[in-house]
Amino acid sequence: MTAGLTSGRAYWRNLEELAESAEFGAIVRREIPRFADIVETFDRRRFLQLMAASMALGGLSACGPEPDPRQLLPYVQEPDNIIPGRNRYYASALTEEGYATGVLVAHQMARPIKVEGNPDHPASLGAASAIMQASILELYDPRRAQVAVGNGEISTWEAFVAALHDRRNALTARKGEGLRVLTGATTSPSLTAQIASLQQQFPGMRWHQWEPLHRDNERAAATSSFGRPVERTFDLGAADRIFAIESDLISATPGWLAYARAFAAARRPTETGGKMSRVYAIETTPTLLGAKADHRVAMRPDDLQASLRFLAGLLGAGPQEWSQAQNAHGTWLKAAADDLAQHKGGALVHAGREQPAEIHVLADAINDALGAFGKTVRLTAPIDASRDAKGQSLSDLASDMKAGKVDTLLIFDCNPVYDAPADLDFAGALRRVPFSACLALYDDETAGACTWRLPATHEYEAWGDVRAFDGTVTIQQPQVRPLYGGHSPQQVLAVLQGKSAASDYALLREYWRQRAQQENRGDFESFWHEAVRVGTVANTAEAALTLAPRRNAVTGLAAPTDRAANAIVALFRPDEGARDGRYADNPWLLEMPRTFTRLTWDNAALVAPATAKRLGVDTHDVVEIAIDNAKVKAPVFVLPGQAPDCVTLPLGFGRSAGGLGTGVGFDAYRLRQAAAPWVAQISSVAKSGDVQRLATTQAQDRVLGRDLIREATLDQFNKDPGSIAKKEEPASLYPPFDYSGRAWAMAIDLNSCIGCQACTIACQAENNVPVVGKDQVLAGRVMHWLRIDRYYSGSAEAPDIAFEPMPCMHCENAPCEVVCPVHATVHDHEGLNLMVYNRCVGTRFCSNNCPYKVRRFNFFSYTSQNDRPAESWNPQVTVRDRGVMEKCTYCIQRIRTTQIAAERDERPLRDGDVVTACQQSCPTQAIIFGDRNDRDSAVAKRKATPTDYVLLDELNTRPRTSYGALVRNPNPAIKSNQS
Amino acid sequence: MTALPTEFAPDAPVVAPDVTMTSLSERVSDRVLLPRAPLWWWVGFSISFLLLVVLLVQMAWLFVFGIGVWGVEIPVAWGFALVEYVWWIAIASGGTIVSALFFLTRSPWRSATNRIAESMLLSAAPCAGLMPIMHLGRPGLFYWLFPYSTVMGVWPQARSPLWWDFICLLCYILMSLMYYYVGILPDLATVRDLAQTRIKRIAYGILALGWRGSASEWQNQRIVYAIMSAIMAPMVISVHSVVGLDFAGGLTPGWHDTQFPPYFFFGAVVSGTAVIMMLTILVQWGYGLHGVLTDYHLNALAKVMLVGSLLLAYAYVWESFGPLYSGHAAEKTELYQRIFGFTSPAFWSEKILTVVVPQLLWFPAVRRSKLLLVLISAGIVLGMWQERYVFVISSLAHNYMPSYWGQFFPTLWDWAALAGTIGLFLTMFFLFLRFAPIVSLAEVREIVAEEKPR
Repeated sequence: MTAGLTSGRAYWRNLEELAESAEFGAIVRREIPRFADIVETFDRRRFLQLMAASMALGGLSACGPEPDPRQLLPYVQEPDNIIPGRNRYYASALTEEGYATGVLVAHQMARPIKVEGNPDHPASLGAASAIMQASILELYDPRRAQVAVGNGEISTWEAFVAALHDRRNALTARKGEGLRVLTGATTSPSLTAQIASLQQQFPGMRWHQWEPLHRDNERAAATSSFGRPVERTFDLGAADRIFAIESDLISATPGWLAYARAFAAARRPTETGGKMSRVYAIETTPTLLGAKADHRVAMRPDDLQASLRFLAGLLGAGPQEWSQAQNAHGTWLKAAADDLAQHKGGALVHAGREQPAEIHVLADAINDALGAFGKTVRLTAPIDASRDAKGQSLSDLASDMKAGKVDTLLIFDCNPVYDAPADLDFAGALRRVPFSACLALYDDETAGACTWRLPATHEYEAWGDVRAFDGTVTIQQPQVRPLYGGHSPQQVLAVLQGKSAASDYALLREYWRQRAQQENRGDFESFWHEAVRVGTVANTAEAALTLAPRRNAVTGLAAPTDRAANAIVALFRPDEGARDGRYADNPWLLEMPRTFTRLTWDNAALVAPATAKRLGVDTHDVVEIAIDNAKVKAPVFVLPGQAPDCVTLPLGFGRSAGGLGTGVGFDAYRLRQAAAPWVAQISSVAKSGDVQRLATTQAQDRVLGRDLIREATLDQFNKDPGSIAKKEEPASLYPPFDYSGRAWAMAIDLNSCIGCQACTIACQAENNVPVVGKDQVLAGRVMHWLRIDRYYSGSAEAPDIAFEPMPCMHCENAPCEVVCPVHATVHDHEGLNLMVYNRCVGTRFCSNNCPYKVRRFNFFSYTSQNDRPAESWNPQVTVRDRGVMEKCTYCIQRIRTTQIAAERDERPLRDGDVVTACQQSCPTQAIIFGDRNDRDSAVAKRKATPTDYVLLDELNTRPRTSYGALVRNPNPAIKSNQS
Repeated sequence: MTALPTEFAPDAPVVAPDVTMTSLSERVSDRVLLPRAPLWWWVGFSISFLLLVVLLVQMAWLFVFGIGVWGVEIPVAWGFALVEYVWWIAIASGGTIVSALFFLTRSPWRSATNRIAESMLLSAAPCAGLMPIMHLGRPGLFYWLFPYSTVMGVWPQARSPLWWDFICLLCYILMSLMYYYVGILPDLATVRDLAQTRIKRIAYGILALGWRGSASEWQNQRIVYAIMSAIMAPMVISVHSVVGLDFAGGLTPGWHDTQFPPYFFFGAVVSGTAVIMMLTILVQWGYGLHGVLTDYHLNALAKVMLVGSLLLAYAYVWESFGPLYSGHAAEKTELYQRIFGFTSPAFWSEKILTVVVPQLLWFPAVRRSKLLLVLISAGIVLGMWQERYVFVISSLAHNYMPSYWGQFFPTLWDWAALAGTIGLFLTMFFLFLRFAPIVSLAEVREIVAEEKPR
C-alpha cells in the first residue's frame, strides 16, 4: 500500500492531507473499492462520526459473551431469567485425565463466575474439587495462549487451516502414512468416532495417547487378572473394611468425589447408629485415605509388595507359603487379615495408580478372596477410549519420530515436551518432524517446540462430550464464547476430513443425531435439550460385568527382589494442585496449601524425619538428586508419616513455559524414565549447601496441649459419647442475647473431613479472596478465609493425622467486636459476626484478639494486583482494598439472596435453602450450615449430637461454628502401628 | 565538700552557692538569645534532623505502598509501631511523673529538672502519637476515632481499649502542652526582657502573653500550675494504665492479665527517668549549667530510677506468675516461648538491663559517676524497648492456635520508623534547647532566694 507514497520524502501532517492525495485515492480504489467513497469524502466530522460509531459498536460487542453462540439475541427485550444479581446455572463437565465430573457453572449477567458440582452427575453429587473450583480462573487467565504462531511468526487460524489443508492432499496420496495424532487420555465418544473415521480415511495414520499420570499398571493388571481391560469402580458405602495400598481412592481416582461421600457417610457413627468402617493403610507417602485410616503403616515400596503377598497368603488369595515369609509387620498384617476375613462381602482392597501391576494383581486376587466383586467392587468395560498403554504409546511415537517415520504430528491436550519420560527425549524427536501442530491452552513447552501452535478452547468454551468414571456421558456446553480465539481438537481433525469450516457444535450434533437414532432415543431435539440441560445423557452408565480373576494370574507373579540396605528410592507422585503440571499456571492452585505439607508455590522433595537425619538435611535445605545421569536440585521438606529411605518428588512443577507457573518449583520429570515411571533407584542425594525458603501456611504441627482436636475410639463413643466432647460453658456476667429469629450456625464433622482443600478454594472463588504470591505467604499474609489445619499426634514416624477446617467461628461473645474502635466489625440479630469493610481503618486489633486466627488483612492492595479480568470476580461480593480486614462471612451474600427470594415468594426460608460455598463444594458433607433455632434443621441435629464441641470453649467466646469429634475405629487386636 | 556525701546532708544545697539571681537569668536565657548556637548543638541537631528525614521518607513510603512494607503479618499484626508507641509514651509519661508528681510532693530537686522533663515529654509525645496513626491500614481515616457526629450516625466504639487510648493520648498531649506553657510563661517574659533583637523581642513578647510579673499574675500562675499538676499526676497514671489495657483487654495469651496497667506505669517511671537523666547530663555539660543542675539532681533522679527498677522487678515476677497460675496451656507455652524461644535474647537482655544492672545505683559512688549514670540509663531505655518488643511480638506469635503461630521479622522500614522517631524526638528536643529556657528560671530563682540568706 505504501508503494505510491515512498517517492521522495512525502511527509503528511494529518490524515486529511494523506487522504486527499491522488495516489492514495488510487490505491484505495484499487485495493479496497468499498472504502473508496469514504476516503474521498473523508473529513474531520466524518472521521469523528465513524469513531463514535465504532466506539459504540465496540461497547456493544463487549456486552458479554452469550452462553450459546448459536442464539445471539439483541438486548432490545431483556431475555427471560437474566436478572442482575441472580445466578443462572448451566450444566457442563470438566475432565481430568479424560474422566468427566459434572459441573454447574453459575453465571451472573451471562458471565460465568463460579463452578459448582452438578448434583445430578454421578461423579460429583454436588461436590466440586479444588481443581474444579479453580477452573474458572483458568478460563479467564489472561496468560492463556491468544495467537496462532506458525513457523515462528504470528499467524492466524485460517492460515493454519490452509497449511493443514495443503498437507491433507499429500497425506491422502500417501494414505495417511506419516500422520500421527497425539492426545491426552480421552473419553469423548464423538472424538473417538471422529478419529476412527479419520483412520478409515487415512489407514496409515496412528493415534497415540499420553497421560503422565497414566494408570497403565492398573490396566495391565486387569488384563492379567481378567483377561481383558476393565474399569474397577467401588461401593464404599458397602465397605466395612478397607485395605488401602497408597490409595488415591478419595483423592484422585476418577469418581473420587462420589467415593469420598460414601466413605464419609459410612464413618459418621452419630448417624449410622454407632457403626463405622475400618480402614487399614500401607503406604510410602501419606495419602488422604491413609490420613483417615484407623491403622496406617508407612513402608518402603518393596515392602508394600511383600506385605501384600503376605496378606494374600493369609487370606487364601495366594499360596499359603507367602504368609510364612519373614515380615516386619507380620502381626499387624495378621490382625488385619483376620478382620478382613470376618467381613467377606463387605471388604475391599484398593491400590493407587502408582503401584506396580503386581500389586494390582494381588489386590484383585484378595478382593476375589474377600468376595468383593459384585458387592464392594464393580467391574465395567473401560471408559478410557483407547486400549493402549499410555507409556508404550508415547514411546512408540517417540521412536517413530526419531526414525523419521512421522511427518505430520497433531498434538492435543497434552504436553509431552515437558512431561514425557526424560529418556525418550521427546523434544529432540519433535525437531525431526517437519510439520507439527499443538493445540494448547497455554504457550507451553510442547506448543513452543512445534512448527504450529494454536490457542485451544477451554472446556468451558467449546462443545464436547465426555464420560464419567461409571460411563455416564455429559454433553459439555460452552459457558462463554472463546475468550482468546481458541479452537477445539474436533475442528482441527475436521480439516483433515475436508470439513474446514466445521464448528464443534455441528460436529457434536451430527455425532449425537446418529447415535440417538441408533439407540432409539426418540425426538432428537428434545433428547438434546434434556441432555444439555441436565448435564448427563440418560442411561449411558456402563453395565457391570460379571468376571472373576484368574487364579494363575497371582501364582505367576515374580517374588519381590531383596532391596539393597539403605538404598534411597525416588517416588514420583502427582502434586495435589498442579497434578501432572497442567494446573501449574493456576494461581489458586499454586497458593493452595497442600494437605500434609501446607506448602504453597513450590514442590519439595518429601523425606521422612529419620531419613532427613541420616542425610543431614532439614526442611528448606536444597539437595541434588541424581538418577543415573539426570540431576535435579530440590528443596527438602521433612514430612512425618513418610516411609524411611524414600524421597517423594511431586510432579507438575518447574515448568519452563506457559503461564504463571513458569519457573515455580523444580521439575521432577527430568528424573523420570519410561521404564520407572513411579519408583526409581536414586543414584545419589547430596546436600548442595543452598537454602530455599519454602512458603508453608502452618506453623506448628501439634496442638501443644490445647484441646483443639477431641477424639475417641469407636468403643469409647459407643460407651459414653458425651465424654468425648467435654462440653464446658463458663458462666458469663452478661445475660445472653436472645436470638429469637434465625440463628445461623455451622457444624463441621472432623470425622468426615478428608483434608482435600475443596472448601478453601470454593471459598476463594465465591468470596473474591485474592492471591498474594509466595513472598507474601512467606511474610505470613496468606488470605484464605477458610483453612484446613492439619495436626499430628503420636510419633513423627507413624503419626495420627487430624484435619480441622477453620472458618470464622462467628462467636456470640466475639472478642474481635469489642476491640474495634470504629464499629467496623459488629454482630447482627441472627448471630452473624459482620465485617463492614468501608468502616475499617485497619487497626488489626480484631485479628490480634481472635483466638482462632481466622481474620485476614490486606497488607497491600492484593485485589488490584491480581491479574484477572474484572468480569471474573463475583459481583455479589465486595472486593477489598488495601488496609482493610476481612474474614469468613458465612457467605452472607448467599444468605441475603436466599432471604430476599423467600420474602419475595412469601414463603418461609427452609432448611437447606442457604448453602455456603464451602458446604456446597465439600465432597464428604463435613460442613453443614443452617438455622440453629430450627430444631429440625440439619445443623441443629448435628449440634445436638453428643460429640459436638466448640474450640477453646474455656474462653467463653461461644462460637457458632462447632465441631463433631473425631472418632477412630482401631482394631483391638493391633496394639501399635510401629514395628 | 566534706567527707559526708552531699546527698546524706539534709540541708545540702540544691543549687551551687555561687549562683545568683542575675547569673542564673543570664546563664539560662543566654542560651536562648545567643545569635549563634554552639557547635555541639549544631552537630547534635544535624544528626537528629537527618534521622527526622529518615522518618519522613519512611512515612512517604509507608503511605504510598501500604502497611505491608513493614514486617507485620497475621498473627503478629502489631509490630514495631506498637512497640515504639508504648516505648515513647512511657518515656513521655516519665516526664510528667518527674514534673507533676514531684511538684506535688514539693521535692526541691524537681525545680531545675522539670523543664527538661517537660521538654522531653513534648518531644516524645508526638513520636508516640505518630505510631498508632502510621500503623493503621488506612491512616487517612484515623479521625474516625473522634467522637464526631457523622451523617451516618456512626460513633466510635466505646468498649474498645484503642478508643480509650486515643482519647487519653489526645487529652494527655493537650494537657501536657498547656502545663508546659503555664510553667514557662514567666521565663518567656524574662527572655523577652533580655532579648536584644527586635524579632526576638516580638516573638517572645507574643509568647509571653504580656506577662509583667505582678504579684497577682504570679499568684494566679502558681495556683493554675498547682491545679494542673494535681490533674496531671493522676492523669499520667491513668493514661499509662490505659496503654496497659490495650493489651490487658486483648484476649491473647500473655496479654490478658489485670496486672498490666501498673506494670506499664512502672516501666514509664523507669524509662522516663532514664531519659531525663541522660538529657540532664547533656544540658549540664552542653550549657555548663553545673551550678544549677548539680549532683544533687542526678542523685535524686538515680534514686527514682532505682525505685522504678525495683517496682519493675516486682511486676516481672507477676508477669511469670500469672500464666503459671492460670494453668492454661496457651499461657504457659507463651511464657515458655518468651523465656526460651525466638525472643529469649531480648527477654534476658531486658531483665538484665532494667532490673539487674540498675541495682548498682544502691552505691553512692555509682550515683555520682556521670559516665555510669549515662550507661545505666541508656541500658534501661534499650531494655525497656526490648521489654515491649518481647511483650507485643511474643504474645501474638504464640497465640491460642498452634497452627497459626507466626513470627515477626522487621523490615528495613520498621527500623527506619524506629530511627526516624528517635530523630523526631531529638530534633524537637534540640529545638527546645535552643529556643526555650531549659531550666525553669522562676522556680530556681525561688530556691536561690530561699538558700541565699544562709
